[in-house]
Amino acid sequence: MGKSSDTRYIFSAGDLYQKDFSIAFRKEDGNFYIPIKDTRELYCFNDITLSTKLLQLLAKAGIVVHFFGYYENYIGTFYPKEQLLSGRLTVAQALAYEQNRLQIAGQIIKGIAKNTYFVLYHYYRHGKSELKDFLDWLRKDVSRLVDSVGNIKQLLRIEGEIWARFYQSFRVFLPESFAMNKRVKRPPDNPINALISFGNTLLYTKTITQIFHTHLNQTISFLHEPAERRFSLSLDLSEVFKPVLVCKTIFDCVNNRKIMVEKHFDKKLNYALLNELGRKVFIEAFEERLNQTFEHQTLRRRCSYKQAIRLDGYKLIKHILEGKNFVPFCMEDKK
Amino acid sequence: MLTGTVVNYYTHCQRQCWLFYHKINLEDNSEDVRVGKIMHELKKQDKDEIALEGIKLDKLTAEYVVEIKKSDADLAAARAQLEFYLVVLHDKGVNRKGRLECLEKNKQSKSVHTLILTEEDIRDCKTQYQQIEEFLKQELPPPPIRKPTCKKCAYFEYCFI
Ligand code: SF4
Repeated sequence: MGKSSDTRYIFSAGDLYQKDFSIAFRKEDGNFYIPIKDTRELYCFNDITLSTKLLQLLAKAGIVVHFFGYYENYIGTFYPKEQLLSGRLTVAQALAYEQNRLQIAGQIIKGIAKNTYFVLYHYYRHGKSELKDFLDWLRKDVSRLVDSVGNIKQLLRIEGEIWARFYQSFRVFLPESFAMNKRVKRPPDNPINALISFGNTLLYTKTITQIFHTHLNQTISFLHEPAERRFSLSLDLSEVFKPVLVCKTIFDCVNNRKIMVEKHFDKKLNYALLNELGRKVFIEAFEERLNQTFEHQTLRRRCSYKQAIRLDGYKLIKHILEGKNFVPFCMEDKK
Repeated sequence: MLTGTVVNYYTHCQRQCWLFYHKINLEDNSEDVRVGKIMHELKKQDKDEIALEGIKLDKLTAEYVVEIKKSDADLAAARAQLEFYLVVLHDKGVNRKGRLECLEKNKQSKSVHTLILTEEDIRDCKTQYQQIEEFLKQELPPPPIRKPTCKKCAYFEYCFI
């Protein structure tokens, strides 16, 4: 465990094709080779043409490709067909949805609350006492509320409240130009919304790739409606990582002035979208965080945050197959 | 249906055997292994592998069934796998001796091991295969038992998370 990034990002326009069992990229200023070795994921952020022959290679190599449009909008994922599949597990996963949906979804909400607490507690400890009420609520009330609900709708309402209050709290520790008035998703209408949307989408695609390397069926989800998207389970499993991976990256970029409104957002679009430079800076910071390692408390091995996403997939399999309680990644417990 | 690998795993670790049989077969973490497989797939030039139901032989000569292993890390498991091939072939009227070649010799004093099965051995094997088939019908895999080889096993994270 603990190897560096296996993700390649393509920001320029060009052609992707197969050459001598490796991936070649032809763009204006020359040809580049992307080795199959140590490549498990590609991100395309520009106009790319590619051939069936290349897709064949990508499929054999199990390389997942995510495509984005001009306005950072996620277009879709090339999902190699040769994935791991287990008939037994798929049936068990559907059964778990029937019999245990509320409990699994509830654990996800509790996980969000715990990781949000972890992130905000840092600022509280550094003198932001305004956060106390929200922190107390996260610590004491959420778990009790979750245990008292009888259906998914009520759970989703709790989740909505956690995010709303979390985003509201940004004004306590972020500069004013990044303060949040109201969360607007499509299209984002200010810099902070743009960062959150972009970050959440990146995390969602990262999760798709991690789940690809497990036997889980991506359409059977628990918190979100199954098949709400083709990869609903990725929506589920990415939730608890949002505060610690996406938001921490944002706070780091904004508070350390790595990302600034004038320089890194598109002026023409009223600063509601990152420009190319901004995208690169954010992705670099995000990748760095994903590949950071910590000592995993159960496995007693070093593990990166990206691998922690896959491990949550394993936990879910273990719950589905062997009945072990599913407790998603918790930043404080490091497991 | 049993395969050589399943029998090998059963001897090595029953949990591994159950998970593998039920297609919870985790990827090898090694990039070299992965790249090797992709090349092999793409070139589609099958080497002299002989594949019959449940068995894939590295080599079959007039005298021997040869099984080649990278190392002698779990000799008992490799032996069980070779035995299985001999038994399957025996049932098809093909009688051979077994020859196990370990490319790396770490634990044993020799790197080539010969196996000759008597009729009685074959009967014993068949009884064991029935037990394995019964075992695989269990609803749940047996819980993991930590042993030194777990650290290198592809299932390590799944087992101990
Ligand atoms: S990690 Fe250990 S217990 Fe688990 S399958 Fe491998 S050898 Fe068996």
